[in-house]
Amino acid sequence: MHSIKSTFSHDTWVMPYLRKYKWLLVLVLFLGLMTYLSAAALMFNSGYLISEAARRPDSIIYIYVPVVLARAFGIARPVFRYSERLTSHNWVLRIVSDFRKKLYQAVETKATAIKQTHQTGDILSILADDIDHIENLYLRTVFPIVIGWLLYLFIIIGIGVFSWPVALLMALLLAVIVLVMPLISVAVNGAREFKQKQIQSQFYTSLTDEVLGLTDWVISGRYHDFMALQTKPIDEIAALRKKDHFFQWWRGLGVQVFFLLTVLTLLIWSGVAFTSTKSLANWVAAFSLALFPIVEPFLEISQGASEWPIYQQSIERVNALSNDEPEVPKQETLTVPVKTIDVNHVTFSYPGDDRVILKDVSLSIKRGEKIALLGPSGTGKSTLLKLLLGDETATNGSVTINGTPITHLQDQRAQLFGVLDQQPYLFDTTVMNNIRLGNLNATDEQVKAAIEAVELKPLIESLPDGYDTEVQESGSRFSGGERQRLSLARILLQDAPIIILDEPTVSLDPITERHLLDTVFNVLKDKTIIWVTHHLAGIDHVDQVRFLEDGAFDMQGTPKDLYHDEPRFRKLYELDAGKIE
Amino acid sequence: MIDRRLFDFPGIKPRVVMIAVLMLIQSLMIIIQARALSVAVVGLWNQQALATIVVPTAIFAVSFMCRHAITVAQNRVFYPFVEKTTGDMRERLMTKLFRLGPSIVEKTGTGNMVTMALEGIDKVQTYLMLIIIKIMDMGITPWVILIYIAFLQWKEAIFLLIIYPVIILFMIILGLAAQSKADRQYEGYTRLSNNFVDTLRGLGTLKQLGLSKKYAGNVYQVSEDYRKETMSTLRIAMTSTFALDFFTTLSVAVVAVFLGFDLMDGKILLLPALTILTLAPDYFLPVRNFANDYHATLNGKNALQAVLDVLEVPETKDRDELKTFTWDENASIKFDDVSLTYDEAKKPTLSHISFDVHGFRKVGIIGASGSGKSTLINLIGGFLTPDKPDHISLNGQKLPHLSQEQWQFNSIYIPQSPYLFHATLRENVSFYQPHATLQTVETACEKAGLTDWIKTLPDGLETMIGEGSRGVSGGQAQRIALARAFLDDKRRVLLFDEPTAHLDIETEAALKEDMLPLLDNRLVFFATHRLHWINQMDYVLVMDHGKLVEQGTPAELAAHEGPYTRLRAEMGGLHALD
Repeated sequence: MHSIKSTFSHDTWVMPYLRKYKWLLVLVLFLGLMTYLSAAALMFNSGYLISEAARRPDSIIYIYVPVVLARAFGIARPVFRYSERLTSHNWVLRIVSDFRKKLYQAVETKATAIKQTHQTGDILSILADDIDHIENLYLRTVFPIVIGWLLYLFIIIGIGVFSWPVALLMALLLAVIVLVMPLISVAVNGAREFKQKQIQSQFYTSLTDEVLGLTDWVISGRYHDFMALQTKPIDEIAALRKKDHFFQWWRGLGVQVFFLLTVLTLLIWSGVAFTSTKSLANWVAAFSLALFPIVEPFLEISQGASEWPIYQQSIERVNALSNDEPEVPKQETLTVPVKTIDVNHVTFSYPGDDRVILKDVSLSIKRGEKIALLGPSGTGKSTLLKLLLGDETATNGSVTINGTPITHLQDQRAQLFGVLDQQPYLFDTTVMNNIRLGNLNATDEQVKAAIEAVELKPLIESLPDGYDTEVQESGSRFSGGERQRLSLARILLQDAPIIILDEPTVSLDPITERHLLDTVFNVLKDKTIIWVTHHLAGIDHVDQVRFLEDGAFDMQGTPKDLYHDEPRFRKLYELDAGKIE
Repeated sequence: MIDRRLFDFPGIKPRVVMIAVLMLIQSLMIIIQARALSVAVVGLWNQQALATIVVPTAIFAVSFMCRHAITVAQNRVFYPFVEKTTGDMRERLMTKLFRLGPSIVEKTGTGNMVTMALEGIDKVQTYLMLIIIKIMDMGITPWVILIYIAFLQWKEAIFLLIIYPVIILFMIILGLAAQSKADRQYEGYTRLSNNFVDTLRGLGTLKQLGLSKKYAGNVYQVSEDYRKETMSTLRIAMTSTFALDFFTTLSVAVVAVFLGFDLMDGKILLLPALTILTLAPDYFLPVRNFANDYHATLNGKNALQAVLDVLEVPETKDRDELKTFTWDENASIKFDDVSLTYDEAKKPTLSHISFDVHGFRKVGIIGASGSGKSTLINLIGGFLTPDKPDHISLNGQKLPHLSQEQWQFNSIYIPQSPYLFHATLRENVSFYQPHATLQTVETACEKAGLTDWIKTLPDGLETMIGEGSRGVSGGQAQRIALARAFLDDKRRVLLFDEPTAHLDIETEAALKEDMLPLLDNRLVFFATHRLHWINQMDYVLVMDHGKLVEQGTPAELAAHEGPYTRLRAEMGGLHALD
């Protein structure tokens, strides 16, 4: 109980939506309740009907009403059930739309424009799954439990009309089914299911690890070690699951025991209360049969409750996500063209990490200048780009455009910067739509011109669907080099004065790389370019080369000067060119 | 609904018989329960004293409990079989995975493979647990009940008998109609949820383009459109459950009304009438239960299908043709007109490859991307099987393929990004030699140039690395792979596939210095487009569009105009700085 309370104490994901769509929710619950009430009423009415008929009344009029009612309830139950299922799905899907938007917005404020790692991708999948979990929370836990409780109240009140002591006894017996057993389920089974999920997710990770490293396993020939790694988690899961199943089966039997007791209570009570006259005795069968259709929702309550811990984790995760919004400084607008970009004595370390990533780094880039940044991975190249874009703020020092701090220009960011990174994202739509994302107001002619500029016109026009060709998921219709060119076309349309190239050629072969770089520097010749690269192919395109080493600039100068004056640079250059010694 | 291969599982038949027996007893309990309750109610209806119904009430209570206890018993009887079957299945799947190697993973995808081994098998478990019991339930319970009702009143029995196939028929008709639509809908859903994840992953790009804020509305709109579409399909899909529900519930009502009229006409007494009424819902219960679990069974059936399909993939045979083998200075490997065609491809990926290499040599494989360098390395590593046997030979022995255990015990494969296991650094380094002593592991790390880096790690060699743990840069990952090779001195064949292509130039230069000593006294196949490595090679294979277009020592190849010189000119074409 306490854990449930704490889960919802700062909740912005479940409760607000219950409120937002409350009338639809009330309708769902009403329809659910009516479904089971109709089912019970059908048996109640039928019991009365045949008892009355067995008295062989003189006229059919005596059983006319029950006959009509039998048909009415017979139709009402499926109709209510049908409407309930449609309404509840509609309700849940509506909420899911809201969830998607909310999750998107929450992630959006935190996303940076540079280097989305593989792991962030995994976290995003987990979050997307969480939304599905919350969807199930409603359908499998909340609705059955609430409908079950409403039904419980109804039965107690219904019997209470006749006899309060019997109603009290029934209340106690049914409370075991609708309250005690679900609580036991949460406590016993819930903990187990949670544990099982945990082992399963570890197992998932370790199995992925095995499959990804399969080549090494095969070569190593360690078949027995390979199999042994899975034995332990599999056995653990199997043991837990076995307990889980046994618990469920016995719990099902337990529910039936208490259910039997309620049926017997009603039978004995009606035997006492309704046997004084013949016409009263007709109600005995009605009361004895009425409960049978209601056992189904009561069985669902405990099951729904034991799934709670899984949902709890999801709710906590999404809540944690949306509860801390970053502060945004007051935004300004740059009205004059970009003249200089200045990095002034910037020192940077990530919050909560005392490692210094950048140490007193300074850099001044003039309009139209092209600069290449090199250095081993982990020396702060990506961090420097994040600072330039304003995704991170310098611990000390400043990054400015025309003297205005970059963090104050975030609203204008897309007008200032174009970015081409290692794996630019192509959305699952047509070539035309993808390119137009660079500038939503661009005409078809402008889009085609951009495609022509990046030398893709012949290829695209040779495709059967031309510019309307679907790029498919992650742009898989096209090769790596072609994807980069498509993204370049998008950047051309975006027409920002500063272009950031973040290792755009790292996964390409040297021939493709060289041709792409020639195109890039050709079409972007008027722009200011900051290019992070991992080797020296195409280095002659830039005005300035900077080597970043352990968070500080090391070698720097024009490519030609470096080649003449720095033996280290010359050695690297020759290595890259594959010169024969 | 049911996969025929189900009945091939060992031990299933006796269990099925046991379930059938239990089911039969259970049906009798249902009848006794209904009869006893009716006797009690009729007693009260006749205004008898409460004491007179004690016996029937007790019989009702006992039979009711028996009925539900038998449900538990059925599960208890069947579960061990299901547990064992799925356990074995998972083991067979993993063994299959190990035997088939990376090629099967490439085909099915890592994610799919892992999901199949975990959730897939779980679904199969649910499926097995449900399907047999539910089908037996449908096959036995209603008919026992119906026979009993027929004894009481044949007219109602006939009505119930006739309505049954009508229900099934409607379910099938509507089910089929809805299913094809629902399938499409499900595809739509998968696309949507993938799309959502992709949108989240593409957020960086959207942010770069200044569209990320606007896109929130789009996310909502797409989801809402999907909702409307789904609801229209659901309306049809749910009609099939509605039809089932409608007919079963209404049938109970109709039976009640029939009985009412018969009672009035004196054609039947209250006791049999009440018994029939009590039994009617139980008559329909099995088919309703089956429909409720329809989706779980459908998923399970598909999962079972997928698992069985993988299990039926033929394994590479004759992996032990090569009896004992060690690569030494006299050993030789010969390719004689070897071709390789992928399963679904029309044209061969590699065609007419012939070369002959003796002893410890360094063989560079160069070519543009798509020329077949990696495929050739995979063929040499034994991860792929050539089109025809006996075109490859080791020490003169003709072999069907190189997936020979003895050959693989001699080789180490180092790809562009060596895979690092989620384990300690020491376990990673000693992967091929799990029992290596600490000292030899340290020596290997020293040779691979890892020592300085290890000193900076919190737990040294015992630091956890790999996915989800400490990040390891590309250069260090390569060094770990080198340490593995240094550690295992017996493996004298090294296969490199673009080991340094993605590294920055400084890291590459430093790595190369540590790597060169490893290449001595070994047979090395080194596929790369980083041309500086060619300077260290003894022999070069030049690939182009799946063909081996030229081979020879670097000096020989450089001496004349040909594919090698052309490729060098094109690849190494850095604009001169001097």
